[in-house]
Amino acid sequence: MQAIKRKKQKERIIENFFLICAFVAVVSVFAITVFVFYNGIKPFVSNSYPLWDFLTGVEWRPGSNMYGIFYMIVGSVLATFGAILIGVPVAIFTAVYISELAGSRIGKVIRFAVELLAGIPSVLYGVFGLGIIVPYVLKISPNAQGESLLATIMVLAIMILPTVVSISETSISVVPKEYREGSYALGASKIQTIFKVVLPAARSGIMTGVILGIGRAIGETMAVMLVCGNPIAGIPTSLFDQIRPLTTNIALEMGYASGVHQELLYSTGVVLFIFIMIINLAVNKLVKAKVGS
Amino acid sequence: MSRKASDFLVKGIIYLATGITLSVLLFIVGFIFVKGIGLVNWDFLTRDFNEKVVYAFMESNDVPLGIDEETLSKKNPYDKRYETHLEGPIYIKNIGAAIAKVAYKNHSTEREQFVITYIEKDSPFHSVKDSTGKDIKIRTDYIVQSINGNDFSGMTLAEVAEAIAAESGELKVKIVQPGGGIKSNIITTLYMVLLSLLVALPLGVFGAIYLTEYAKPGRLVNMIRFAAECLAGIPSIIFGLFGMAFFVVALNFQISLISGSLTVAIILLPVIIRSTEEALKTVPMAFREGSLALGATKLQTIFKVVLPCAVPGIATAVLLSIGRVVGESAALLLTAGTVAQIPGTLFSPGSTLTVQAYYVAKEEGNIELACAIGIVIIVIVIVLNILSRITSDKLDVFNKR
Amino acid sequence: MDAKIKFNTKNLDLFYGDFQALKAINMEIREKEVTAFIGPSGCGKSTFLRCLNRMNDLIDSVKINGEIIFDGQDINGNIDVINLRTRVGMVFQKPNPFPMSIYENIAYGPKCQGQKDKTQLDTLVKESLMKAALWDEVKDRLNKSALGLSGGQQQRLCIARTIAMNPEVILMDEPTSALDPIATAKIEDLMSSLKKDFTIIIVTHSMQQAGRISDKTAFFLMGEVIEFNETPIIFTNPNDKRTEDYITGRFG
Repeated sequence: MQAIKRKKQKERIIENFFLICAFVAVVSVFAITVFVFYNGIKPFVSNSYPLWDFLTGVEWRPGSNMYGIFYMIVGSVLATFGAILIGVPVAIFTAVYISELAGSRIGKVIRFAVELLAGIPSVLYGVFGLGIIVPYVLKISPNAQGESLLATIMVLAIMILPTVVSISETSISVVPKEYREGSYALGASKIQTIFKVVLPAARSGIMTGVILGIGRAIGETMAVMLVCGNPIAGIPTSLFDQIRPLTTNIALEMGYASGVHQELLYSTGVVLFIFIMIINLAVNKLVKAKVGS
Repeated sequence: MSRKASDFLVKGIIYLATGITLSVLLFIVGFIFVKGIGLVNWDFLTRDFNEKVVYAFMESNDVPLGIDEETLSKKNPYDKRYETHLEGPIYIKNIGAAIAKVAYKNHSTEREQFVITYIEKDSPFHSVKDSTGKDIKIRTDYIVQSINGNDFSGMTLAEVAEAIAAESGELKVKIVQPGGGIKSNIITTLYMVLLSLLVALPLGVFGAIYLTEYAKPGRLVNMIRFAAECLAGIPSIIFGLFGMAFFVVALNFQISLISGSLTVAIILLPVIIRSTEEALKTVPMAFREGSLALGATKLQTIFKVVLPCAVPGIATAVLLSIGRVVGESAALLLTAGTVAQIPGTLFSPGSTLTVQAYYVAKEEGNIELACAIGIVIIVIVIVLNILSRITSDKLDVFNKR
Repeated sequence: MDAKIKFNTKNLDLFYGDFQALKAINMEIREKEVTAFIGPSGCGKSTFLRCLNRMNDLIDSVKINGEIIFDGQDINGNIDVINLRTRVGMVFQKPNPFPMSIYENIAYGPKCQGQKDKTQLDTLVKESLMKAALWDEVKDRLNKSALGLSGGQQQRLCIARTIAMNPEVILMDEPTSALDPIATAKIEDLMSSLKKDFTIIIVTHSMQQAGRISDKTAFFLMGEVIEFNETPIIFTNPNDKRTEDYITGRFG
């Protein structure tokens, strides 16, 4: 009896140990939120910098105590929007090719290529952007530098490809074959079947891919840092203007900032965090909606 | 427009899009290889990134040349990427070594220098101390710059050989250990991979075991799943901010290997939890029932039946994680720093390959070097991709039964 | 017996890779009749049905020898498959309405053919639904999702969708196997009323169903047609011992 009791106790202890391991994820999310928000809200609570000026300012000059991030928000949003506009159609068409038109062998090869594209670290996309895209933009740009909104959009559009392709492809391939058969039996062509039946049926999965792509684009730092120009002021008004997305603002100056300057970099992180939260919630909603139907 | 024509058009667009995707990949990989391949060789992989200047103290001691002149003239250990042979080598008895004059040229520097090409067995170079009395090692590709305060710059090889031969007794030689390599970054990357996996792997695997084997559906499980999803969606710069605030500042770990690897460990958690969970789910229920029916406890069942079946899945998780660590940059930039050195302790900084690639591209504008590092990274990524394909095929065995 | 021959197959063989699923099928199917295919699972009856509008094209490993003459033309030859499928419609085992509105489901086929006129589409949708005896049940919710219908309604919707194409032949692959008896009865009623306009070929698991609705019945076994004759003869006085065994329930 004693032995069995001990065994049971041991099992219980280990189960709790497993639970603690699983709970680390929860603690991490909590800690990340608390630390970033605590540091980021401090300057506004202690009145060392006015929130309104921070959110609406269009100049970031730590030397003269000016910390405005409005032009960064605009930059981030424009770059993300542009990347989605270019990257998503290409990605969805590629996904259609892989799952509907390509033979199984060619499909496999392209899928491998897309996975490889996903595995390339973002820095190398940046290096590519700096080595190829930026000089090319410089050639057609009226400005004196190639680092620009346009270059950023190009790099980000490439970077979201693998995310959107693989998620779209998965959700296209789980569309029941009965839909396809039904459509063919009604005399629809392959292309009509794909665009009128398959893609609409895979819509919510594709949307999830697109939103994750938005998340990746808005959160991307290192690749963007190499090609965006990082100006200290100014709302971009043309594709050839430089931008300074929220992410690069943090990465550029965190290394040496201190005091209010450092805290306001955390505040930049908070703004970014809120954007990401909204995106995460949207994904969550979409996934839930899919389960519901 | 007729249906045929419009179908044809749309098909064309689909092919075009796929072509764009593929050519973008080819273009990027091709660009990195073409730009960088000229710099990749053995020296690149085995040298430190930074040059290191040391003052070597040693006793002069006449040592005769033990090999014939022809063999000596064939020894050319300098870095072919940057150095071209000019004169020599000349063997100098009192230091028991041969030196040659080479021209050094990289994208920013151009100069002539004297490189040790050969060290005799009994050479005083084998017993050298630095200014603090510590033993140091001198190798054949090192550069000599001065002897007893007599600087060699602007001299011919013959003049240098004469100047060295003229010295006797205790010698003080200014020696430069050549840089331009990424050995330290490779080793830092390895450390980072090992340390972060050491933390994240057990946490992730045990967490996944809890979620699949123990947890009953409810608020707790939903919360854990939601948290893992959130972690997967947070961009790495935010992890960097957190790492900076928590590990670097609050725990006072400084910008260091440990701060970096703990931050990355959190990034890895959702990756490991998710793939392990999926692997555990593929293990047929019948296996568990069979084991339990034989009187095994739940724990025994998990460790002796379920986990062994899920090993390929966990291996995939490990491979994915290595890929994540190798590719990670923004978080490490803020927590592990950009110093190209092998971290001596857990609390010293060091830059991984990826961070180094960023650093040389951004701070030095050296695209070639960044691409050369990129080649190493891409090779690692490809190898990991192929390996994970193999392991995940292994896991599919259950599904095919 | 002077009705026109709609389908005429000559020595039709079909392989899935190395496996021969159909062996030398010779069959004449007449216009405006209901022809039923019966036989045990895996006997090739569904495979044969799917040959008639070339749905087997969707499976990579399929190889076909022999001829299928449809209105004097070999459909395995160089023909427009899409055109064939508009003339030979198909209803599947599991109701498979598209995840769109009821209206859109019916209008799908005509729209694919380039029909854009809204009023014509409206009439077509109404007529098709009426012919499929579904109009009264759904006329108030044409713009609601088709997935909200019951199984039997969904299957009738699929039939209506096929009728909207105004095909010459309707293939039905066990159309009632996923439905309850009441819904099945409705579909069977529907079939007898459709007979005057369409040639119907139906695969069924249920011998009673074949007996109730078909004019002719073919018995399939292991990829061969054992017997093909007037339905009453098959069920009361079969020529072949194996047919009799199957009918009387000795195997299958």
